[in-house]
Amino acid sequence: MGSFMLRRIIYVIPALIAVSLISFLVIAIPPGDYVDRLAELRAASGDVIPLAEQQATRAAYGLDLPIMVQYWDWISGVVLRGDFGYSFSFNLPVKDVIWPRLGLTVVLSVASLLFIWVMAIPIGIYSAVRRYSAGDYAFTFLGFLGLAVPNFLLALAAMYVAFAVFGMNVGGLFSPEFVEAPWSWARVVDLLQHLWLPMVVLGTSGTASVIRIIRANLMDELHKPYVTAARAKGMGEFGLLMKYPVRHALNPFVSGQNDIFVDIVSGGTIVAIVMGLQTTGPLLLDALRTQDMHMAASFILMLSVLVVIGTLFSDLLLAWLDPRIRYQQG
Amino acid sequence: MQNQFLGVTRLLAVTSALLSAAALPGAIVLPSQAQDAAACASYTEAPQLKAQVDAGTLPPAAERLPLEPLVIQPAEGKGVYGGQFIDSWGGGNLADIRQFGYEPLVRWSVDGSQVVPGIAKSWEISDDAKTYTFHLREGMKWSDGHPFTADDILFWWDRVENNVKVITGGPRNEYKVDGEIPVVTKVNDYAVSFSWSKPNGLFLQQMAGPYGQRAVQFPKHYLEQFDIDLNPEGVAELMAAAGATDYAAWWKGNVGSYNDPSQFNDPKRPSIHAWVGTDSILGKERVTFVRNPYYFAVDPSCQQLPYIDERVWASAAEPEVTLLQAIQGQITMSPRNVSIPQNRAVFFDNQAAGDYRLVPAASCDYNTAVLAFSVNHPDPIKAQVFSSKDFRAGISQAINRQEIIDTVYLGQGEPFQPAPLPNSPFYNETMARQFTEFDLAAAAEHLDKILPMGPDGVRLGPDGKPFAFSVEINADFKPDTVDAFQLIERTWKQAGLNVTINHHSDELFGAARSKPDSDGSVWVGENGCGQLPLLNLSRFMNDYGGWSLGNWNGWAAWDRKRLDPNAELPEGWEVIEPPANVQRLYELRSLIPQTIGEEQTALMQEFTNLQAEEFLTIGIAMPAGFYRSVKNNLHNVPAELIEGWLYPGPAPSNFASYYFQ
Repeated sequence: MGSFMLRRIIYVIPALIAVSLISFLVIAIPPGDYVDRLAELRAASGDVIPLAEQQATRAAYGLDLPIMVQYWDWISGVVLRGDFGYSFSFNLPVKDVIWPRLGLTVVLSVASLLFIWVMAIPIGIYSAVRRYSAGDYAFTFLGFLGLAVPNFLLALAAMYVAFAVFGMNVGGLFSPEFVEAPWSWARVVDLLQHLWLPMVVLGTSGTASVIRIIRANLMDELHKPYVTAARAKGMGEFGLLMKYPVRHALNPFVSGQNDIFVDIVSGGTIVAIVMGLQTTGPLLLDALRTQDMHMAASFILMLSVLVVIGTLFSDLLLAWLDPRIRYQQG
Repeated sequence: MQNQFLGVTRLLAVTSALLSAAALPGAIVLPSQAQDAAACASYTEAPQLKAQVDAGTLPPAAERLPLEPLVIQPAEGKGVYGGQFIDSWGGGNLADIRQFGYEPLVRWSVDGSQVVPGIAKSWEISDDAKTYTFHLREGMKWSDGHPFTADDILFWWDRVENNVKVITGGPRNEYKVDGEIPVVTKVNDYAVSFSWSKPNGLFLQQMAGPYGQRAVQFPKHYLEQFDIDLNPEGVAELMAAAGATDYAAWWKGNVGSYNDPSQFNDPKRPSIHAWVGTDSILGKERVTFVRNPYYFAVDPSCQQLPYIDERVWASAAEPEVTLLQAIQGQITMSPRNVSIPQNRAVFFDNQAAGDYRLVPAASCDYNTAVLAFSVNHPDPIKAQVFSSKDFRAGISQAINRQEIIDTVYLGQGEPFQPAPLPNSPFYNETMARQFTEFDLAAAAEHLDKILPMGPDGVRLGPDGKPFAFSVEINADFKPDTVDAFQLIERTWKQAGLNVTINHHSDELFGAARSKPDSDGSVWVGENGCGQLPLLNLSRFMNDYGGWSLGNWNGWAAWDRKRLDPNAELPEGWEVIEPPANVQRLYELRSLIPQTIGEEQTALMQEFTNLQAEEFLTIGIAMPAGFYRSVKNNLHNVPAELIEGWLYPGPAPSNFASYYFQ
């Protein structure tokens, strides 16, 4: 187990370096820079930025330097000083903008993940054990529906229903009075009151696919000889189910966990934009649109690092769950 | 339907108020509007300030107000104190004065017809219009209680506008005459003069626009500490603490010039606005501004303004969310980006539920879309075609404008070319209306002269080869242009034109538009009402300040060399001599700002006549049907608002005089 973990962790390093380079180039290579975008945005409101001012701004932000120099300045700041650079459009250090948002993103993603587990695992087990029953058909139907409806559409519909039927305050994760309030118990409660809507929206498609994965795998396991043997030895049906087949059936589910997490984080962008959530998604899109280089690159870097670490985590978890993995590839 | 019709006529009636001429230079101006000194023995103030005065933490109102405060005539009447005005914002630029507040040196009157006192209580213009002297209000104070004097304006001029160490790009063209910057002099503590060697015919109107705001937002006593020449050690310390290495970038992020969000980010920074910040705004989702106890204006019954206690800015990046919040009644006045004709029905239906009313807001835009072709295209055939008036006339007549207005703009507006609006004294019937009839036969007649019809129904270029061209559109900026050009593409094809419409996202449009070989592109026409065309001659010459629609660099290069034979041309520009009429147009563009009174009017007449004759750009429709949702309990909102940039509506309608009941 030790050598497996070590090997797996070493693989992460080149991946991170590549990810950091790509994160920066993705935003640096397309034509135009932040100043061009600023000029364009001002033009849309009727204003004109004189050319001399554009050039002065470009020089002040170092946007006139070669790309690799800019990359080195940025990544060395990230690695050596934990300084993610400067967000031009916010006039703030990137870390001041990102951290609060990243916190809420993680809360929302983890909440959605928990929602998926709580909903999908019991339903998946039930559907497998009672397959072709009325309950199985009902859940399967709902599952496919959840998988088929795009998240953003569901978000729009949910917002409309929340607005038209319940008269709810839509948009955002907090009530107006809590948006910029310091953390308190009341603010946590307020967050929970608003969290469920995006949580359900983000969780639906994940729930559907997890139900199918567990159902299919469990159905394979249920008829294997070891199950019959255990049952013949007089083991209780529920304990038997939980101890052996379900544990096996969870294997692909665990390895797929990271994909679901990535789906939530990236798929969450559109939902967050539609619902006006203060998560990272809308900020990232904005940073990309305004060519706010350091912010966009830092975001992509952080999300990519999350994915890399998530993959590592799910690999390690899988290795713990299934000993065969540890001993493969000597 | 009838309701809407009434709305439109009312709207037209009010925009015509923009007609009359602004205070013309050449005489001492004693502003006649009722914003003159009030004879107040004492002043009333907001209850929340009264408590502080009683506790001794704030001087009494009479000591906080200038000797002659600005008297704002409310739209309806005397108001009451209190309440919270809630706005939605995109989270970036609060400095957009169109919604936040409008406190320039001199200001547009509410109806946009004339320039009236603002921070300056009066002004004098020398007979030759070479010197403008502005008189400030004695006893006026910044929001921290420090006196506001001529020194603050000189600080702006010396340490900001002309300081190469900070990012401003130098004094803007709005302050210049024929490229010459003014000499700014302190006459005494309460008077500042601007003078040039040539007459300046437009300075007052320029200072009433957004750029007049810059002069009065740099409190010397506070900002000196951020100036690297005045406080080198202090700035070095501050920069080190922030981890900043570049002074200009640091200054932009901490002080900022007139449109940088950072100028609202420091709650300690004194301001002259009616409301001042309580916290930094950048990166925040919701920010609050509270009343400025030193705000320099009162109502006619000697109550200190503003009436409303607080202004709250709630971030909502997505327009659909903003729209929902507006129709739910969570926003006091709907922002411009959602208050468009296409959303009118939604707003109308939810009036009762959201407890708001719709107030018409006339647009100062002179066209929904302006199409310009590359007259200096590097391909000589294309340059020949695009420079041909016959081509442009044919193109224009092959547009079915009424169909576009009916389907895209829901019947609002009328066919129009890029031209001053009918409510402007510079309106020119021919310039505005020629070639707006949809007439494929007439179009064919024009087009046949330059692009003969080929055998397969597609027109051929002057070289006998099939002629194709493309038009670049920004699909994000105004989605209605996308719909309009889908209809246009259809009728152009009927006229035998082989055209490709390229849709670009906001990010990529800039690159597409400024490519030297782009054929033509589309933008909106701004600042066409009242006096504004005077300040907007460059737009009519398709010079948008650093960029133009399609390639006009050759002509622009000719103009630069005309003004200064030693001028250096930007890379890739080559002088191309324009036709005689266009040469005269360029000359007029530099002459008009240097003239005053009747001479100026006559030159403007010549300008619009020549524009009509040359027909350089093509428009679609006069914009109409704009409005704002306003909460029913909000009063003193004018019956009609005006939207624009150089007239930065709706801010000139005096938010400080709005009140809740």
